[in-house]
Amino acid sequence: MAVKSNLLNMSLMLTLTCLVCSAILGGAYVITKDPIDAAKAAKTNKAVSAVLPLFDDAQKGETALRDEASGEEKPYVYYKAVKDDELVGYAIESSVSGFGGELKVLVGFTPDGKIFDTDVLVNNETPGLGAKCAESESVFRRQWKGFDPKVKMLSVKKEGGDIDAITASTITSKAYTQAVYNAVQVFDALNGEAADAATGVSVHPKEGGQSNE
Amino acid sequence: MSKLKLLTDGFIKNNPTFVLLLGMCPTLATTTSAVNGLSMGLATLFVLVLSNIVISLIAPVTPDKVHIPVYIVVIASFVTLLQFIMQAYTPSMYETLGLFIPLIVVNCIVLGRAEAFASKNGVWASTLDGIGVGLGFTLSLTVLGAVREMLGSGSIFGWKFITGDGMLAFVMAPGAFLCLGYLMVLFNKIAKK
Amino acid sequence: MRKLIVSPSPHIHSKDSTRSLMLDVVIALIPAVICSVVFYGWRELLLLGVSVATCVLLEWAVTRFLMKKPSTIGDLSAVITGILLALNVPYTLPWWILVIGAVVAVGVAKLSFGGIGQNVFNPAIVGRVFLLVSYPSQMTHWEQPQGLFGVDAITGATPLGAAKEGTLGQIDYADMLFANIGGSAGEVCAIALLIGFVYLLCRRVIKPWITLSIFATVALTALIFWGVNPERFTDPLFNLLTGGLILGACFMATDYVTSPMSVWGGVIFGIGIGFLTMMIRYFGSYPEGVSFAILIMNAFVPLLNRWFHQKKFGRK
Repeated sequence: MAVKSNLLNMSLMLTLTCLVCSAILGGAYVITKDPIDAAKAAKTNKAVSAVLPLFDDAQKGETALRDEASGEEKPYVYYKAVKDDELVGYAIESSVSGFGGELKVLVGFTPDGKIFDTDVLVNNETPGLGAKCAESESVFRRQWKGFDPKVKMLSVKKEGGDIDAITASTITSKAYTQAVYNAVQVFDALNGEAADAATGVSVHPKEGGQSNE
Repeated sequence: MSKLKLLTDGFIKNNPTFVLLLGMCPTLATTTSAVNGLSMGLATLFVLVLSNIVISLIAPVTPDKVHIPVYIVVIASFVTLLQFIMQAYTPSMYETLGLFIPLIVVNCIVLGRAEAFASKNGVWASTLDGIGVGLGFTLSLTVLGAVREMLGSGSIFGWKFITGDGMLAFVMAPGAFLCLGYLMVLFNKIAKK
Repeated sequence: MRKLIVSPSPHIHSKDSTRSLMLDVVIALIPAVICSVVFYGWRELLLLGVSVATCVLLEWAVTRFLMKKPSTIGDLSAVITGILLALNVPYTLPWWILVIGAVVAVGVAKLSFGGIGQNVFNPAIVGRVFLLVSYPSQMTHWEQPQGLFGVDAITGATPLGAAKEGTLGQIDYADMLFANIGGSAGEVCAIALLIGFVYLLCRRVIKPWITLSIFATVALTALIFWGVNPERFTDPLFNLLTGGLILGACFMATDYVTSPMSVWGGVIFGIGIGFLTMMIRYFGSYPEGVSFAILIMNAFVPLLNRWFHQKKFGRK
């Protein structure tokens, strides 16, 4: 190296390098901010449109519901979709512990409480077995389209419910069903609030909901 | 050394994956398909070339004792730049490669070439070296990704030629190691000729 | 000046002695083979044939043409790998999947390491685990044995699979011993396998300590956990009789090449296998742990050989 390593030179070099790099990165951030935001919005829209009918706009919201099993407040992210100012439905992100890790399901509800469709956001299940839950064309996934939790039971057939589990992946299937069940709870709470807001009455989230286990 | 040789050395003689055995972590993790391997290789190539250029320029004025932090800041800046670009213009590949994009900062290839070559050579030579090694890396990742994709998913670049799944082991970690091992044998055998 | 060649033991000195040992193992496996064909029918015979043929053919081709030396198939080790692999898979497995397994077992686990004597991992188990990971739904598809006598085939979870999912009901040990349950052939013919094991002991082909320490550790571990929480953990007898434990402990853990040479090494090897099997069965993602346990302990064998030397001749 041609330059001596004394304190002045080292400090100078380091400071200079950091300043120049930060400046360039700051500039790059500003330039790419809009495309990045647009890409993120497009991604959300794409995910939500997979589980709900056509809509113009989806607003993100957050709510919390007390988990029956642990008694703790669990946060939920949801999207309220509207078209021409009319409510199209809610898409609710529901996360549970699956066979191999987190299983996050996006459940789309139409205002009448029926499930329009579901999709998998995060999946750590075994490839070839539980991971089949992420294949939208699979038998397991197709049974969720138009599923009405008020009429059908939200548990696997082995336990007296109406859900066909994936062969040899009972644990994944049960987890998925649990995620949907939780989403139904959240939907009931949201729908209850919306209905109450229309009439001017506020009520706290109900526990238990309308579906049975 | 002839400038052309710099380019071609990175492909075979100095192939980072099969000869130098550098950058194994992203190699094994991102080669689940040919496209993923290709994208990862190109992303690394981008960082490698740019950081080589800049480092060969600032090396003469960098005090020796701080050269590592200075180089790392440069490399990290280019990786961050890459992240912005990918997030904005190729969001789905950004999601697929995920964690491994920021990990390019600690990819041995990048800092290794910076220290071994760019800091001691001129800008033009460093550029060519970066391109050569980067392309060599991209080539190995694409080949490995293609083999794993063919065996594990029954498809080539997304075009499926069987129904259903392939041998799932190849989409997961064990298959990655197996493929890498056998490809290494094959590569070194061919390269010796 | 003549070069002194030093290589690590074990040294296989002549093909004949290896062959006669392997022949004994094949004979010991005959009761289990017969039992499995009786219970599973002609398909099992097909699977056995395909597996053995692939293993032998591959070894012949690779040793003759790639390694350019006289073929080693005469030592019968490929035959054994073929039989063990076939006994370890569901009888409904498509034959071409079994071929892939055989290719991996002999090609990857044995020949890529240099052939018999050089491999670190038990080839049959490597093949089986590869198939389990690659074709999970086919490899976990268990039907009740149909047999030569045409019992109705029922798809169901094996006892271990049921235990993992928490749906195990009443256990009938007599059923398990005499093969009235779902499972691979290796699981299902406990008596037949034990007969073979005793034969090998009498012929002094294998020493008992590896197998016995595996059984003892499994029983002890199960006893402790089941004693603490009988609801959650299955009992010792169940664990001894299910899964590939008997097949694994008697025939695969005792493979000369991949097991320790000394007595103490073998005992520790067995303890490790037993313990790992139980941990995987109780706490892991897979219902069966023997295959993984054996592979993991295979990796420790060089270390165990280093720690526990065989007594050298002439030393005190």
